[in-house]
Amino acid sequence: MGLEFLARVRTTSMIAVAFAAIFVVTYVSPAWAGAFVLGALWSLLNLVALEKIVVGLTTPRQDSAAMLRRAGGGAALLFALLAVGAVLLSRLDPVALLVGFGVPFAIIILKALSLVLVSSAFWRRLTAPSGRTLGMLAACVLLVWAARPLIARAQEGGHGAGTETHPSGSGVTELPTFITLIENGLGADHPVSHFLHTWENVIFSLLVAAILIVVTGLALRRPTTGVPGRFQNAVEMVMEQLHDFFVGILGPTHGPRYVPYLGTLFLYIIMMNLFGLIPFMKSATSSLNITAALGLTTFAYVQFEGIRNLGIVGYLDHLAGNPRSVIQWGMVPLMLPIHVLGELAKPISLSCRLFGNIFGEDMLLVAFMGLGVSILAFTHLPFGIPLHWPLFIGLALLSSTLQALIFSVLSSIYFLLMLPHEHEAEAHH
Amino acid sequence: MGHPPEKPEPFEGIRTAGMLAMIPLLLIIAPLLGAYIGRWLDGRFGTTPWLLIVGLVLGFAAAGREIYSIYQRVQSDEERKKKRAP
Repeated sequence: MGLEFLARVRTTSMIAVAFAAIFVVTYVSPAWAGAFVLGALWSLLNLVALEKIVVGLTTPRQDSAAMLRRAGGGAALLFALLAVGAVLLSRLDPVALLVGFGVPFAIIILKALSLVLVSSAFWRRLTAPSGRTLGMLAACVLLVWAARPLIARAQEGGHGAGTETHPSGSGVTELPTFITLIENGLGADHPVSHFLHTWENVIFSLLVAAILIVVTGLALRRPTTGVPGRFQNAVEMVMEQLHDFFVGILGPTHGPRYVPYLGTLFLYIIMMNLFGLIPFMKSATSSLNITAALGLTTFAYVQFEGIRNLGIVGYLDHLAGNPRSVIQWGMVPLMLPIHVLGELAKPISLSCRLFGNIFGEDMLLVAFMGLGVSILAFTHLPFGIPLHWPLFIGLALLSSTLQALIFSVLSSIYFLLMLPHEHEAEAHH
Repeated sequence: MGHPPEKPEPFEGIRTAGMLAMIPLLLIIAPLLGAYIGRWLDGRFGTTPWLLIVGLVLGFAAAGREIYSIYQRVQSDEERKKKRAP
């Protein structure tokens, strides 16, 4: 049993805790589930700290300074965890915390037992003839079947709060997010719940923006002009592709100026679209408010660039349809509203297209998830058959990427239509 | 980064496709927007349904004008491509 055993214990514990938390949310309460998960996290970090101390003290061929640094880091983490544990015990349900805390230890014991059992002669004798294995499996299934009344009793005694967030309900049109869970925990009348519910889409869009800022910031923390690290290389590759793409559309004269805006727009939209595929998250672009804000930003930037390139007089001349003759001047009262309408229609068409596609995609996922849950509704278990997987998830991935691409390409086309023609600009120089 | 002028641009196809893809939505959104603004003005000035009709007509005209400018742009791109071809 080496360090890889502990790594396996960590992975198994995390999966087991996540799975158990679904049951606890459904049958006990969200607060209890939160305490249970925190307890398990506390225990896992504790194990990591212990592992650091042991590895630090027992690794051969290292100087004493490195040994002390490692062991000291582990000990500091242990002390910090003790303090956090004390705070958690005073604030949360101690039983739930202790049950969560015990999960990794239970997994260690079960794993050790299973290792002993699987390598024993008794197990080999038991599982060698395939008929006997099948018989054992059948016995297990019968045991679960016999335990049904217990499950039913748990269902009767269970808390109803968790099921409200379940997508199987006929009135539910959205998947539950972590904000829904917080709302359930605090109650719908709590001012924090009200605030979170009102600003849900903005919170998710800001979360995506924060992730983008952190990732870019980390990639640029120690930039090198030599051979870059893996992370810097990946980010640079994305930037280069986006640069080439938008310069390819806008041309080498005007293109580089708009790459930062259009590239950010693409990454921001694709991240927001894909965020809806992560459990307990939501696509902020499934709200018309967010897509309209994106469309308006593009509109404002395009108009600003129009004024910057043409000057105020040139811009008004452009809006009036470049009148040069008396007849054309006579047409200005007609051409001006036509031109303004045309300009206004562009951001609206952008926002509507993105909102419609992402909203539709989310609805499709909700419908199929709901169907998957209702198929197994008779079992009263808090999960269902993942009918949305992999066809609709694949479709959503494709559509999310495509819509982000379409939005940014059309935005670049709006810039293109406002800018003077590339060869005209070249002729001026 | 050099800019050889005679080299074919790699994303020219996407640019043309993007410009042409704008046409259907512009055809829907521009008249709707015109009608909506017209209806709002009707409500303010009590001229129902005249400004709505004017808005709708202007919306169609705006869509037509935008499509014409897109078409011109696409055509001039095509001509440039033809000139560049040997």
